[in-house]
Amino acid sequence: MVERKLRTISDVICPFCGTLCDDLEVDVDIKEETIVEIRNGCQIGTKKFFSSNPSGHRYTKPRIKENDSFKEVSWDEAFDKAAEILISAKRPLLYGFSSTECEAQSKGVELAELLGGILDNTASVCHGPSLLAIQDVGAPMATLGDFKNRADLVIFWGSNPVHAHPRHLGRYSEFVRGYFRKDGRNDRFIVVVDPRNTHTAQIADLFIQIKPSEDYELLNAIRAMVRGVELDEKEISGVPMEKIKELVNILKTCNFGVIFFGMGLTQSLAHHRNIDAAISLVRELNDHTKFLLMPMRGHYNVTGANIVFAWNTGYAYSIDFSKGYPRYNPGEFSSVDLLMRDEIDASLIVASDPASNFPAASVKNLFKHPLISIEPHETPTSANADINFPAAIAGIECEGTAYRMDSVPIRLRKVKDAPGKCLSDKEILEKLIEKIKEKKGE
Amino acid sequence: MTEIKLKLKKLPKFPLEAESITPDNFAGKTLDAIKKLPLYHGNENTVIGDYFSVSGKSGNVNNTKIVIDGDLSNVKRIGEQMSGGEIIINGNVGMHVGNNMSGGKILVNGNADDWAGAMLQGGELEIIGDAGHYVGAAYRGNWQGMKNGVIKVKGKVGNESMLWARSSKPANRWPMLYCGSAGPFLGTHNHGGTIVVEGDCDRCAGADQARGIIVIKGKVSRKLPSFKRIGEVKEIDLPNGEKITGKFIEYSGDHSVSKESTGKLYIAA
Repeated sequence: MVERKLRTISDVICPFCGTLCDDLEVDVDIKEETIVEIRNGCQIGTKKFFSSNPSGHRYTKPRIKENDSFKEVSWDEAFDKAAEILISAKRPLLYGFSSTECEAQSKGVELAELLGGILDNTASVCHGPSLLAIQDVGAPMATLGDFKNRADLVIFWGSNPVHAHPRHLGRYSEFVRGYFRKDGRNDRFIVVVDPRNTHTAQIADLFIQIKPSEDYELLNAIRAMVRGVELDEKEISGVPMEKIKELVNILKTCNFGVIFFGMGLTQSLAHHRNIDAAISLVRELNDHTKFLLMPMRGHYNVTGANIVFAWNTGYAYSIDFSKGYPRYNPGEFSSVDLLMRDEIDASLIVASDPASNFPAASVKNLFKHPLISIEPHETPTSANADINFPAAIAGIECEGTAYRMDSVPIRLRKVKDAPGKCLSDKEILEKLIEKIKEKKGE
Repeated sequence: MTEIKLKLKKLPKFPLEAESITPDNFAGKTLDAIKKLPLYHGNENTVIGDYFSVSGKSGNVNNTKIVIDGDLSNVKRIGEQMSGGEIIINGNVGMHVGNNMSGGKILVNGNADDWAGAMLQGGELEIIGDAGHYVGAAYRGNWQGMKNGVIKVKGKVGNESMLWARSSKPANRWPMLYCGSAGPFLGTHNHGGTIVVEGDCDRCAGADQARGIIVIKGKVSRKLPSFKRIGEVKEIDLPNGEKITGKFIEYSGDHSVSKESTGKLYIAA
């Protein structure tokens, strides 16, 4: 057996989901500069670390598409071509940013302003509706530590952390022992509201199965009942009145409650109106007890993308710079809507894969125009791009800052070097900005 | 009334932002000066003369009538913040037509896209065809949307029309919307707006309504549970003095906002 020399790095931050677990241990083979073992990580986080090892899917050199096949080129040539595409575009779209660190996101804002383009992040297809509702009615939130130490009622509404945020339950919301919740799971009452009997629902104390896309009616009824209004109905959203009464009683009599809501609430038919009602419910419950809520953010730094965009431009996503100053209007400047109306003429996708997630009609329109991708791996988006910039993976191969789902900034760590000629997202965007400024004569 | 005619010469590739097309901007200007008013096409600056042929003569604001011909479905913000005069659009029109207008009249002989008459402060907007989503709605993050004026839509209005409408009794301001049929979440967060729907309405009409009147002469696909039945009525008085007769069931609400509510929802019996 060949003996390997390993380097162990502890307290590594996992750059996968919004939970941003900060207790991973990573073993790196010193000679090969590859990851050989991860401890403490969940399945998906562990997979992401292993995916950074060199493989057939990993880009190592910049590539340009010519006659339907890719050829490897120098960084200079790739920057030159990309700058030309972006300068000649009248309505370029810059999209992605949620799976990279804040410094790169900040460079994205600078580039969008320089180009007079449209800047968007993945919130526009996930928790964007939450942001719209927060603008309308505010948001009573706290950090995850508060929920861990104090919450005795935890509600998962339209979210399934067992699969989407696997360690959330163990670190913050269900099994973990907190300062005032010494007995862990036994000190907490778990409620799940979902149309499906999910794995999270199966470990809940109370599961409320509602009809798909009828969350708004149920939230609306609960709000009225919390106010002491007697309703005329016998059943709401497929839930019998007795069960709703039981839930209302649980809500009003807990010591410290929290609603963790996911895409089941933000991306079902009523979108931001669901969140509006949920936030209003939480506000009203604070007349009776202490209650808060928290969006279960997906990408590890989508919260950071919203925060970085907002401190630079005033708006969290769907920002149009075409007049030189930022304007904001989801529905008009959000990526999917723009692509469905075929309103762009070039795009730069950073650390994201819209081709796998957007509606097919919009992806067709995305591929019609020049597409530049900054991406470490081969994805449906990068495979159809005209220029590939190979990026180092933030949080594994370069440092940076990321915001956890409760808006706590955490410094990401570097555990190994990137393969080949990869640069970090921030360096690539910086050099692209330089090139564009040079060409524009600024 | 003096009339200015605009005709679209070529279809824009990207949406054309035409907030300069208002009687306020055209008043007292020569045709050459009007042709030089700015239009935004993507991130490039163009002028009205690049996309429209202009003829006629302008007078003062209230005396100016602008007639626009052509397919304007990709031309946004016509009539933004206009305070008087008249605009007639012969064809479909893009987003934000007549947003923030405070006086005058806009007639669209076709369909309008989203945010038609958004944040209307006064005046009249009439759409002969269908309108998109957010008709007369508040823009993102605004707590006070349409404050006064009338919007009439012959066809359907889309989602969340008349969002955050707000009336004022002391100032005698009563925002009104008449429409053929309506999408979901009509009159959400209504604070005194009046809405009359001639036909059917989708789910959740009057969600979070604090006060105001919504009259639906057709069917609703799903009434919110937080509206409580009061009884049957034969006549409804609207704040502008108008009377609607017929057989209606009267509901009060939205009771999720407050236990006692002055908001009213009438659905044809």
